Order: sequence, then C-alpha cells, then structure tokens
Amino acid sequence: MPLTANLDLLTPEFALAGLAFLVFAADLVLPEGRKHWLGWLSVAGLLALIAVSVIMLWGVEETLYNGLLAVDDFSLWFKVLFMVIGVFIILSSMDFVSERLEHQGEFYGIVLFSVLGMNVMAQSRELLTAYIALELLSFSLYVLAAYARDNAKSNESGLKYIIIGAFSSAILLYGVSMVYGVLGVTKFEAIAAGLAAIPDTGAVSPSLWVGVALILVGLGFKVAAVPFHMWAPDVYEGAPYPITAYLSIGSKAAAFALVLRLAAEGFVPVGDRWEQWQLILAVLAAVTMLVGNLVALAQRNLKRLMAYSSIGHSGFILAGVAALSLDSNLPSNGVMLYLVGYSATNFVVFGGLISFFNMTGKEMMSDLAGLGGTQPFLAASIAIGMFSLAGLPIFAGFAIKFYLFTAVADEGFLWLAGLAVFASLVSLYYYLQVVRQMYIEPAEGEPAYGHGYGYEHVDAEHGEQGAGHNESGEGDEPAPARRYGAAQFETHPALGRRPSVTVIAVLGAGLLAVFWIGVYPSPLLDTIEAASKAILS
Amino acid sequence: MVDLVWFQLLSAALFVIGLYGVLARRSAVLILMSIELMLNAVNINLIAAAAHMEGFGSFSRFDGQLIAIFIITVAAAEVGLALAIVLRMYRNRSTVNVDEIDLMKW
Repeated sequence: MPLTANLDLLTPEFALAGLAFLVFAADLVLPEGRKHWLGWLSVAGLLALIAVSVIMLWGVEETLYNGLLAVDDFSLWFKVLFMVIGVFIILSSMDFVSERLEHQGEFYGIVLFSVLGMNVMAQSRELLTAYIALELLSFSLYVLAAYARDNAKSNESGLKYIIIGAFSSAILLYGVSMVYGVLGVTKFEAIAAGLAAIPDTGAVSPSLWVGVALILVGLGFKVAAVPFHMWAPDVYEGAPYPITAYLSIGSKAAAFALVLRLAAEGFVPVGDRWEQWQLILAVLAAVTMLVGNLVALAQRNLKRLMAYSSIGHSGFILAGVAALSLDSNLPSNGVMLYLVGYSATNFVVFGGLISFFNMTGKEMMSDLAGLGGTQPFLAASIAIGMFSLAGLPIFAGFAIKFYLFTAVADEGFLWLAGLAVFASLVSLYYYLQVVRQMYIEPAEGEPAYGHGYGYEHVDAEHGEQGAGHNESGEGDEPAPARRYGAAQFETHPALGRRPSVTVIAVLGAGLLAVFWIGVYPSPLLDTIEAASKAILS
Repeated sequence: MVDLVWFQLLSAALFVIGLYGVLARRSAVLILMSIELMLNAVNINLIAAAAHMEGFGSFSRFDGQLIAIFIITVAAAEVGLALAIVLRMYRNRSTVNVDEIDLMKW
C-alpha cells in the first residue's frame, strides 16, 4: 500500500494548519480596529473542524505512514477535546488580547498551531512523531508565555519555560536514543514487543532501563510531576492570564494523551515488568499530589495558587496512569473523564478570574475581597469552579474524582486512592479560602463592619479625613458609606461594568458542563469507553 | 569498526558536561549552549547505534539517522526562539544572568 493511500484521514490537521496560516495572512490585511475578527474566525474554523472530524472519523480505525499515526476513536476523542479547549481559550482570551496585548492576529494563529500540535500528539504512535508534535505545542506555548513583550514578568516566564522545556526535551531524547540503541525501534507497539521478548531470567541491558527512566523524566517535566514541577509556578505566574489557563488545561491534557497512549501501547502489554513500573509511577503520583496540594496552602497569588492546584491534579491523573492494566478499562476511562471534568472546571474558574483581571488588573487572592457583592455572576462562577476542583458533590469534581479513585483502588492501589482522598481534603482548604475572600471579606476600602455600622470606628481610623468630611457633610448619616463606596470605585474603575459576551459564553458553557458531568456523565462515558478500547486491546 | 560502547561513553560524557553546564552556568546564553551539547550527545548516540545496527530490519538502520536530522532541525528552531526571548529579557532588564532573573519566587 502506498504511504499516501489514506492521507485524506488527516484532513482536519491539514485544514487546521491552513486555518492558522489564513489567520496570519488576514492579520496583515485587517486594519487595527478589526483584529478581533480573527478571534471569531479562529473560533468558527475550529467549530467547523470539530464537526468535520466527528463526521469523517467516527468509528474509523486506521494507521497512516506505516504505523506512525493512528486515526482511531482515541485520537478522535482527544482531537475533539483539544479543539473544544482551543475554542474556549480563544473566547476567554479575546477581551484580554484586544485590551492588553499587541499583535493580536498572531496570538490566535499561534494558539491554532498549538492545537495542531496537541492533535498530532494524541495520534502519534512513534517516539519521534510524538516528539515533533510535542515540540510544536511547546514552541507555541513558549511564544505565548512570553507574549507580553514589554512585561518583565512575561519575559521571565517565557525564558524559564523555554530553558526548562529544552532541557527536558534533551533528557527525553537521550532516553529515546538509548531505547533505540538497544531495541532498534521507536514505535510504541514494537517497544512493547521488544520489552516482552526479553526473557524473565535473562539479563536486561541497563541502558534500556535508563532509557525508559529518562523518557519518564522527560514526560514528568511536561506534565509538571513532582520533583520536576519547579518551573510551573513561575511560568504560570508570569504568563499572560489566558495562557496560564491554557497551560493548566490544554498542555496538561495533551501531555496526558501522549502518556496514556505510550503507556497503554508501549508498556502495559509487557506484563510483569509493567508492574514494577506501576509502583514507580504510583510513588511519583503520591508525591505529586501531596506536594502540589500542601504547597498550594501557602500561596497568595491566584495564578500561583492555580499552578500548584494543577500540579496536585497532575498527581491524581498520574495515579490513574499508574493503575493502567490490560484487564480493565476503568483507569484509562477515569483519566480521560478526569481530563474533561478538570478542563471544564478550570474554564469556569479561569473565565471568572480572567474577566476580573481585565476589569482591575489585579491577581492576588486578597484583591478578590467583596467580589460577591460587586460582580455576583463572576463570583458565583469562581465559587462553583472552586467547589468542583475541591471535589464536592453535584459538581464535575466529585464525579471525576469518585470514578478515578475507585478505578485506582480497584487495581490494587488502595493506599494511593486513600492518599488521593486525603490530598483532596487538604485542597478544600485553599479552594474555600478563595470563596471566603469573595463572600465574607469586605471589599477594599469598605468599612470593616459593612454599610450602616461602625462609622465612628472607621472615622477614628482615618482621623483627619473622616473629621473633615463630617464637618462639611453636617452629619449626613449615609455619606461616609457613599464616600468609601466611591473610593473603592476609583481603584476599580471597571468593576461596575458587565462581563462581556465572550466571558458569559465561556462561563455559561463551562458551568453547564460542570453540572452535566457531575450529575449525568454516562453519555460521555460511552464515548470514553470506545476511546479506551482503541488503545487497550 | 570502533566498538559501539566507545560512542556511548563519548555521548554520555558529552551529555553530563551539558547537564553540568545547565545547572552551573549563570548566563542564559551559556545555558542554551549547554542544552545544545546535550542534544548533540543524543545525536552521537543515535547515529552510532544506527551505524552498528546490522541485524535488524532494513528500515530501522535509517531511523536513527533520520531522528538525528529532525533533532538538529528542531534544536536550531529552539535556539532561535530562546535567543529571541533572551534578547527581550536583555532589553527590559539589561541582564541575562539567571540569578538576577528572580521577579517570581516561591
């Protein structure tokens, strides 16, 4: 069969690359005021491509390029997930990009390229192909993290990200070269066959184990597993806000898509030796969830908080990867369900936080004080997202954690499931801190006891100001409250404005998904089951 | 032909030197050069392994060389991108010393 026989199966990828170039080209022609059209063009293109992919590739199970790429239910499932993530990332970044960044068109084009990289990552069944796709995604993210050119924090974030990223790629590649040196192959299936062919009693070449370990370390950097996580908080904090969201949602989901396929096709079929690796992965998962959640307790910056929270969630997902086995689809179902639920929840949280940042330019947890009164919709969304991340029932967080932890316990890792429940419990503390800030703490500059009480106290505190005002105001009772209200309005000039259409769309869809997954996940689970079957057979 | 293990030793030595450079150097540019060393260690490993691979199927002999070509290409792009970011850093902060790039910590 010629290599190009079923090339048409890659139509969505070719079209996506075309769309990205179209956005770049249109960026050159469009006048400055209409650049936001490019965002809508990208969204429309991605939505069309989702439809095309589903119609074209539903139930198809083929390989391309002599087995380098697989077009199966697993690829399709992740492809749709990634493109939906792309749509929501573009929607939630539109306000931010047009208000705070230069070179808008390129922003959307680069996001599209990163989605292309993620799509290919989920399909690749060979180490080099996976690496190239991973680099397409990573390069796009390096650029996006450093996108605010004149912002020193964004520069620093990009520099740290690219140095750590290149460093981890080098480690990953060294592992690849060692595995290739011993086995002579780079396809996942062939690696599994080569590993299985080594007799149990025979000596195993140490460079093979070092190679596999280095691949694990390289991927550990990409998913930010402890002890390879130290880049994540800095990069998350410095990157432009929507890119922080993208890093914690898209890049994480893509890395785990690759890890899932590599583990399921390359390592799980090996048998006894996979059980040794399971233990290593389980320990990695345990350390990751504990460190991520415990260090998050000390964070005061919202982006850093979300970075440590995402490290903690990486730990939960890794627990699912460690529990993979040929006997049961539950762990891999659990991982995929977790990725969807986590993405939807994070969109709700970040949608609210990005909108808040657009209005005020602030990103500390204490800045959220009083948001429940000034922006009830945003505050409610963030609160629901936080409840869901903590794993409270009705919301997606509970359903996904319940499913994943049950699967992990079923596969004989009861201690890991117990630890995961404990880590979730710890996480409740810092998630609820955010909710407390929004609903219980008074807004900045507001009297400590709220309107109508404690004028004397406040006036005493602000001595001169209060006294001067009382003289001029002739003891008009509500005046101080108005004054403090006005003062607060000055520091947040835009907090009075309504969230824009894109924010409402992202939050609305995200909230719907959070409740839907939390209450009735079974239709979603049917598609996940089909995807799992494609890699575990 | 020289034994494969000598190539592997050379490659390991180069990789470790690169690793040391990444951890010990202070200048972002020198760190990038150290990463290049690590990537070149990978290339040596791949090409030597490919050259010594007689017994395997005909195509797997070329895989190693192919991967090396891809790595060279990607590494060039990576350095281009990284230097652009370092340049921005220098414009904004007038330093490329990674010890001073510490706006965000812990």
